[in-house]
Amino acid sequence: MAPNKITVDVRKPNPRVAVLDIKGDVTNQAEAALLDAYNKACDGGTKNVALNFTGLEYMNSSGIGLLVTMLIRAQRNGQKLLAYGLTDHYHQIFELTQLDKAIRICADEANALASAE
Amino acid sequence: MVSIKGMWSRRSRGKAETAPAAEADASLAQQLKAPATAVTHLDLDIAPNDPLLAYLQSASGPVEIANLKLDSPALEKLRAGGAVLVLPLVSQGELVGLVNLGPRLSEQDYSLDDRKLLADLAAQAAPAVRVAQLVRQQQIETQARERLEQELRVARVIQQTLLPRELPKPDGWQVAAHWQPAQAVSGDFYDFINLPGGKLAVIVADVTGKGVPAALVMAAARSMLRMAAEQEPEAPGKVLAHVNEMLCGDIPPNMFVTCLYGILDPATGRFVFANAGHNLPAKCATEAVVELRATGMPLGLLPGMEYDEQESNVAPGESVLIYSDGLVEAHNPQGEMFGFPRLRQMACGLGGGSELIERLRGALADFAGAGWEQEDDVTFVTVQRLPPANKVLANFKVASAPDNEREAVEKVAGAVAGLGLPADRLERLKTAVAEATMNAMEHGNNYDPDKPVVIEVRAEPDCVVVAITDQGGEKELPQTEAPDLDAKLAGLQSPRGWGLFLIKSMVDEVRAQTDGPHHTVELTMRLANSADGATSAAGVAAATKGGGR
Repeated sequence: MAPNKITVDVRKPNPRVAVLDIKGDVTNQAEAALLDAYNKACDGGTKNVALNFTGLEYMNSSGIGLLVTMLIRAQRNGQKLLAYGLTDHYHQIFELTQLDKAIRICADEANALASAE
Repeated sequence: MVSIKGMWSRRSRGKAETAPAAEADASLAQQLKAPATAVTHLDLDIAPNDPLLAYLQSASGPVEIANLKLDSPALEKLRAGGAVLVLPLVSQGELVGLVNLGPRLSEQDYSLDDRKLLADLAAQAAPAVRVAQLVRQQQIETQARERLEQELRVARVIQQTLLPRELPKPDGWQVAAHWQPAQAVSGDFYDFINLPGGKLAVIVADVTGKGVPAALVMAAARSMLRMAAEQEPEAPGKVLAHVNEMLCGDIPPNMFVTCLYGILDPATGRFVFANAGHNLPAKCATEAVVELRATGMPLGLLPGMEYDEQESNVAPGESVLIYSDGLVEAHNPQGEMFGFPRLRQMACGLGGGSELIERLRGALADFAGAGWEQEDDVTFVTVQRLPPANKVLANFKVASAPDNEREAVEKVAGAVAGLGLPADRLERLKTAVAEATMNAMEHGNNYDPDKPVVIEVRAEPDCVVVAITDQGGEKELPQTEAPDLDAKLAGLQSPRGWGLFLIKSMVDEVRAQTDGPHHTVELTMRLANSADGATSAAGVAAATKGGGR
């Protein structure tokens, strides 16, 4: 198997929102990449962090655990997490785990930017 | 015209008188062979307006016709034939015959005694003649009916030859049919046509009415459908449009044909269909029966019609039932109709094929009761995609190392590729396999490179089962707490610990068992999507039966 791979790029389309472009697999091995990117996104006191899952290839329960960790930090920092680009399958998993209650699911980036507080 | 067979007799005087005494010894039969009288038969047709008819009907006893003054052609004919005395045979006021007598041999007039004798004879003979006439009439009618029945029997045999002699047997499919005319012949028919590329046209049609008129139109419609199928092997809607044009010119104005025309691709289970006013076919799965809807006018009513084409996928274990309205519109003695809901109930849980047909026949017989006079022709056709036999699709080992669950997922996905698992179900199965394999590698085998995880994929009749075995059978199963996001966010639970929850949520059933050193988790995923609306909840509920770490 190809080694587990993930890249997370951080963009700031506007001062209120940071976008994390997640490409690859969100598993246990994604911890450093994902949390580093999150920390980068927090620089400058950004209030909203949008997770772009358009490039997501695979996510497992460990990856969900990472999202929960990120969510705990975001709550601590008074930030809001948003997500877009989820396939139907991962959208269903967000519903089952109730992550969709804590992370606002948006149709696309424009919708996420518009939803940012 | 009243046709009377009259007869009269003239004694052969010389013969009777000259009969030698020795002849007295001759047998009775011989005496009868040598008649003492000359009897002449006369076919006499008396017109209904001939006054003789009324005269004879009301006469009491024999009538002397020599001086009878009536303007009657029949009377003239009687006289010309030599009759002098006519004895009407009247039964229940109806003239049933005449006995016509010529002059007496003695050349004297008929005496009062003669007349009385004749009157007595008439009184007794008339009912006997009437009975004989009725018997004869009945014989003629019976012969006519038998001839008609014989013709209908032949017609039925001919019609049966228009139905498929053998049912098609596409690989992995079972086709069954039942045809039950209400009369000797039927307006219902079904047909199968082999099309290019291994596809199969499946047709059920119903001509309005029943019996011979419907059967004649049926024969024409069948030929037209076959012709159109050859011209348009890919498009059920176009086939129906062609046949509609042809029938519109040929069919009597008060008749039409409803028809369901489907094209089945046995390789994929794709069923493309068009419907000309026929009952909606039913797709029967284990848990639900759905109607396959397509719209269109019956054939032969209006020219220029177009027919909507729809399609459905028939998964292994599912079938399509096409039927005529003789089933759903049958009534029981209380006047209730069989109806589609009953059909849905009957068909649910039965894959199809002859089992479904037998069950429907039984249900119809029970519903209609013992003295049922079948109201309409009844036809069923089912095409069932057979469930795969229980077989092992794959059996492989995965080394216990981080990320190797991806390898397991790819192999399982490859193994189930031919089962027709809907895409969303496949995704869920993949997630469940990934999580269960991760559990096995991590908790069962402690990521020990010498302890591989063994994975077996089995196809069962309506589901796929993935058994994931590790070597941690002797370890005590840890108690797991159901994950709760609020508790996790509040720091009361670890952010992790979603694995087992996901497994249970993704598949229809999870079972865990320990066999000595081995621990196996079996994931069961049904092939059909029927209960998808409630998948998550049902999945979690079903999974409580199972267990795991």
